[in-house]
Amino acid sequence: MSSSPAGRATGARPPGVVDHGLEGRIARLLSVGTVISVVLLAVGGASLLIGGVQPLQSAPAFDAGQMVQDLLALHPIGLVWLGLVVVLATPAARVAAGLVGYAGRGETGMALVAALVLAVIGVGVITGLLGA
Amino acid sequence: MDVGLLMLAGGFVAGLFGSLLGLGGGILIVPLLTIGFGLPVREAVGVSLVSVVMTSGASAAVFLQRDVANLRLGMFLELFTAAGAVIGGAVAFAIDQRYLAAMFAILMLYVAWTMIQGARRPAAAASPPTEIEPASHDAEASLGDDEPGTAGPSVDEPLGGTAATPAAMTAVTPPAMTAGSPVPPAEPTFVARLSRPGYRVGRVRLGSFISIFAGIISALLGVGGGIVKVPIMHLIMGVPLRVATATSNLMIGITASTSAIVYLLRGGIDPYVAGPTAVGVFLGATLGSRTAHRVDLRVLRLLFVAVLLYTAYEMTRLAIGLP
Repeated sequence: MSSSPAGRATGARPPGVVDHGLEGRIARLLSVGTVISVVLLAVGGASLLIGGVQPLQSAPAFDAGQMVQDLLALHPIGLVWLGLVVVLATPAARVAAGLVGYAGRGETGMALVAALVLAVIGVGVITGLLGA
Repeated sequence: MDVGLLMLAGGFVAGLFGSLLGLGGGILIVPLLTIGFGLPVREAVGVSLVSVVMTSGASAAVFLQRDVANLRLGMFLELFTAAGAVIGGAVAFAIDQRYLAAMFAILMLYVAWTMIQGARRPAAAASPPTEIEPASHDAEASLGDDEPGTAGPSVDEPLGGTAATPAAMTAVTPPAMTAGSPVPPAEPTFVARLSRPGYRVGRVRLGSFISIFAGIISALLGVGGGIVKVPIMHLIMGVPLRVATATSNLMIGITASTSAIVYLLRGGIDPYVAGPTAVGVFLGATLGSRTAHRVDLRVLRLLFVAVLLYTAYEMTRLAIGLP
């Protein structure tokens, strides 16, 4: 965000020059998020199946408070919900990492874009909550 | 047999099929869950979106590490696909599910037609194997290509009419980069920063506007939306096909997760179905990306076209209410 010469020195990256550090961090974030979500869904789903729950039974709707309670009670459905939340939150976390990375380098334009993407996701959350 | 295991197996086959053919698993998940398990179309779309986000996350990480995906361009266009995804997510709960089924049938017919066209193209058969292992989890990336993920020329190769020419590259070179330039250094423009060595990104406004529709389609049909995103970037914005495919894959995460959040909060995602299906798709896509180069895709493609036509027929029946 800085317009100082020092800020410009880091932010005035010529076109075509890739910040491998930022892209590498984001790649690791995506990988870790994906692995965590797969493990949570696999363990939770397998536990549900072993417990006799069938997928075509009437399922509960998402409730964040209930998810926390299920997790504290070590109920498998809590793991499945958490896995779904991690799946859906990982891309947003990637954008947040981009926001921090670009802002740190003084790239106001890209930082603003990342912030706006997060804002649109926020609108999606509000849209979902209003229709719930 | 246990329904959960059947869903896991079905997801696995869908992920494997989609990965081998460079298509997203989403295009098979929705018909699998609606026709195979009798789920409402909207719930199937919600589960499909989760599967799409999960598989794209893994492959997008590899594309970033290999420096194929354009993070800046992807993040910029995500702004518009995410906006479209919010719109599509809201619309999906406002319209009759039969319309969703009808739209899905049209999508499948289009994909089948595109695959047939791609198979007829002689040049595609000679395409070299891709360097990129992860399958493009997008229903468009390789539609016209013969090999999965064979996304045309490499970043460094000029692409007829779209890649940057030396003159074009000069156009994006900021004055500060020009040797012996008498003018003082200037900041490159925001749009110039979206370009990379080897190509120049153009027609950004048009590409941004059409990206909104990619988000809407993704949210309504439970696919990655690459069927729109890749052509936008490649044909309109001048991005090489391979880069467009990788960048589209990166964008899928935000596009699909934004609408999936709407589905989740409105009760449109069944956790009992999403768990086994998404894990199955992920495992199938992972296996497919590692074995694609060893598989003869000609027979597989014909089989896939037949599957698409059959499911398009079934979705049409669902749309018009036939028993």
